[in-house]
Amino acid sequence: MNAKFWNEHTETMPREKLDALHLQRLQKLCHYVYERSPFYRGKLDAAGLKPGDIRTLEDFKHKVPLTDKSEFIDQQLANPPYGPTLAVPEDLVCHHAESSGTTGKPLAIPYTMYDTVRYGESWVYGMWGLGIRPSDSLYFAFGWGNFAGFWSTYWAARRLGCRVISGGGLDTKGHINAIMRLKPTVLISTPTFALRMAAVAAEMGIDVSKSSIKFTYHAGEPGPTALPAMREQIEKAWGAKAGELLGIAEIDAFAPGCPVGDGVHVNEMNVFTWSMDAANGNEVAEGEIGENIITSYVNSAQPLLNYRSHDLVRRRMSCACGRTWTKLEGAVLGRTDFMVTVRGTNVYQTAVENLIGEMPEVSNSYELILTREADNDAMTVRFEPIKALAERKDRWEEIARQMSEKIQKALHVRLKCEPVAPETLPRYELKTKRIVDQRPKEFRRALDR
Amino acid sequence: MEERIRSIRQARALLAAAMQGCELPQIEAMLRNADMELHWALWNLGEPVPLRPELG
Repeated sequence: MNAKFWNEHTETMPREKLDALHLQRLQKLCHYVYERSPFYRGKLDAAGLKPGDIRTLEDFKHKVPLTDKSEFIDQQLANPPYGPTLAVPEDLVCHHAESSGTTGKPLAIPYTMYDTVRYGESWVYGMWGLGIRPSDSLYFAFGWGNFAGFWSTYWAARRLGCRVISGGGLDTKGHINAIMRLKPTVLISTPTFALRMAAVAAEMGIDVSKSSIKFTYHAGEPGPTALPAMREQIEKAWGAKAGELLGIAEIDAFAPGCPVGDGVHVNEMNVFTWSMDAANGNEVAEGEIGENIITSYVNSAQPLLNYRSHDLVRRRMSCACGRTWTKLEGAVLGRTDFMVTVRGTNVYQTAVENLIGEMPEVSNSYELILTREADNDAMTVRFEPIKALAERKDRWEEIARQMSEKIQKALHVRLKCEPVAPETLPRYELKTKRIVDQRPKEFRRALDR
Repeated sequence: MEERIRSIRQARALLAAAMQGCELPQIEAMLRNADMELHWALWNLGEPVPLRPELG
């Protein structure tokens, strides 16, 4: 149980070996989808491509057509539930999930039994790296529903051998009471809900930093890796080490957290990734920001090749933790669809969120509102001051001014900052909706219209 | 590591023999799950195996 890695053999595999393995697996995957997925057979035929044409990683990146979620949804809507995207007989599908629908219509996601095993495994690398062991007990603070993200955490808990304690449909106070009574050691939740629970516990007179929780582990929205200020808040509130994983429901929990805390590592046993300049389709170099393009080896029921995540990432090929798996520094830096360009300056969601998180008089409830003004994108930060300032309206405007200046100094762009009364913005148990896109439809990605 | 990989491959061969003609659905399911885990072990040791265990 003292091993530093879940699987040192592959987590520290030299890059040349990893790349050779990727090529071999991608070639097999191309044959697999050509024989079994009517959707991909059609796509490859349309591109004039046969599986045997893929001889190098460059061939794969640049010859295999990109896939976008909207294509899958169109196919599924025309022929529900899965349409021609399904690559196995339907009786092999043992679990049905759906994407959260954050960016539009939910996507139906089928998994075979083996897919669920491999998907769950992705979580374990990060949990192990953080220090979570089979003797730990995981408290799941959410209703299960169809949301793939936390079902896969359950698959991970079974793999690791931890005790599972389900909070099911309890409300926030119910979760806190259950934690105090059952004494789990790991909290599994979205990061904002972890903070919400701590705040409600304080109102109940309970200090959760003194509870049994030793670790918190998160997914579903930018968390402690992307937002250092949020890490500080969660770790302080819960008296625990906070970890995070980057996943995409239809792909995998593909990037477990790095124990150094400043990024996530792509699980290169499960997926192959590269970064693309969304404007021209070219690959971007290490250290530059580009869209993460993902191919999964482990979704045999509904394979995904060169899938556009629309997540903007910065990749590094080495890390102090010793893993050779590609590191995504700061996890997701923004979205291609939610990135706004104000007078020539790209504004990334997480960059703004990090600055807001550094302001002690601002609560964790805020929204970033996208609009169009004078043929330009514009972003307004609508925020709540902390509850202690509920009666100090004079102070709210001063905080808004400080926030605007702070953002301008760091990002060289002036955003409008608008205070609203404490406890008036919506609270979420699952994904917190930070972005409110009020731009006309023609300025949004097709899927979001 | 080579020795471990060889042992896992041998175990898969034994499982394949045990699965052949198995008429008990319960036991067949157990053997199939065991083979899936061994396939996954080889995959995670970087061994060249097919994408799914039943493919070879």
